[in-house]
Amino acid sequence: MKIDSGDTAWVLASAALVMLMTPALGFFYGGLVRRKNVLSTIMHSFFILCLISVQWVLWGYSLAFGPDKFHLIGGLEWVGLNNVGFTPNADYAPTIPHQAYMLFQMMFAVITPALISGAFAERQRFKAFVLFSLLWATFVYDPIAHWVWGAGGWLHQLGALDFAGGTVVHISSGVSALVAALVLGRRLGFGKEKVEPHDATMTVLGACLLWFGWFGFNAGSAVAAGGLATSAFVVTNTATGMAALTWMTVSWWHKRQPSVLGAAAGAVAGLVAITPASGYVNVMGSIVIGFGAGVVCYAAIQLRERIHVDDALDVWAVHGVGGTWGALATGLFATVAINSGAANGLFYGNPKQVLLQLAAIGAAWGWAAVGTFVILKVVNLFVPLRVQEEEELLGLDISQHGEPAYAL
Amino acid sequence: MDATTVIAVISCAIVLCGWLVLPSSKEATVKPVVVSEERKPVSVSA
Repeated sequence: MKIDSGDTAWVLASAALVMLMTPALGFFYGGLVRRKNVLSTIMHSFFILCLISVQWVLWGYSLAFGPDKFHLIGGLEWVGLNNVGFTPNADYAPTIPHQAYMLFQMMFAVITPALISGAFAERQRFKAFVLFSLLWATFVYDPIAHWVWGAGGWLHQLGALDFAGGTVVHISSGVSALVAALVLGRRLGFGKEKVEPHDATMTVLGACLLWFGWFGFNAGSAVAAGGLATSAFVVTNTATGMAALTWMTVSWWHKRQPSVLGAAAGAVAGLVAITPASGYVNVMGSIVIGFGAGVVCYAAIQLRERIHVDDALDVWAVHGVGGTWGALATGLFATVAINSGAANGLFYGNPKQVLLQLAAIGAAWGWAAVGTFVILKVVNLFVPLRVQEEEELLGLDISQHGEPAYAL
Repeated sequence: MDATTVIAVISCAIVLCGWLVLPSSKEATVKPVVVSEERKPVSVSA
């Protein structure tokens, strides 16, 4: 196998783009919390970037992508990047160094647990967060990544389609966020006092940086610089714009004013929904996916508010529900005219693909929910998950880190 | 025109039509904060 310099450059650049998404997420979330918790919220993302960068090279990549064991998990043959060198791996990316592929995938493993942190913002003890993140990455993310993307993984063999992580990244994190919010309980004063975002401009900037980085996430998942990457880039941008327009319109109708934060959240919902489909659908399909994301994710937030679940930054509504819609829509709108190596969806004569997508959605929901619940209960045996009441009232920036965000 | 295109066109039409019927403004619920543009002189010690 010969290394292609263009493909390698694109995947390395994409890895850097995806890396930027995690601090961008920190700012997106940071703007949405109260000023006494902004630093701790940003720290969640920054810390996970550091943690998974090490976990991934030590054992994470081997568990997710290593030689298959029973179609469920990768073996330990690639621990410490043993046997992961510069020669391309034909199963994953035949034209780039194996380590470039490993690096690209590392950035996906980084952002996924960081997404969950929005659910327990403003109340989780940092030490509990550290333990939870490491265990979750190992026992929830790595197995699901192997099922869907690993050579020999059971969902991969079944024929379920997930181009850039609708099930692996967004359903897993979104469902885990819902479980975490339920296990940790509501913030003090939830539903009694209004919790306003402390800096909406920070959130909009974070959303824009997420949008920018997402081009690496989706177009980079072609693992080659060519037509498929270009198509993924186009549909990603289109779905995102359409979802933002739709969300803004729905919230305008519902709340009588076009919300800026709503437009930003809508853009993220569109990015989430197009992720699994980005390598399989055409531009018309991406418009429908963006439209659907704007409607269903907005509706999911209304439902979450009605049942009084304190998923603080709506990770379940945007990532869990948006990822589910995107995975299902892949089964509806996929076409081999875009990706000849994949399959058609229902609208192109293959209804079976919808069933395969539902199987992948169910598996990801189930494993993420059960795994997260068990991990939280185990962590709670050693470290209380929540900070004490007075620490929560003081704010996590001071109580957990001893530093205020602003000296104003 | 395939089914996907038809649904995409309908989706765009719904959003565009929504803009035509949505309110152009809402009564302000927050009192505007009046900020004085006059600045107090600042004494600078030599």
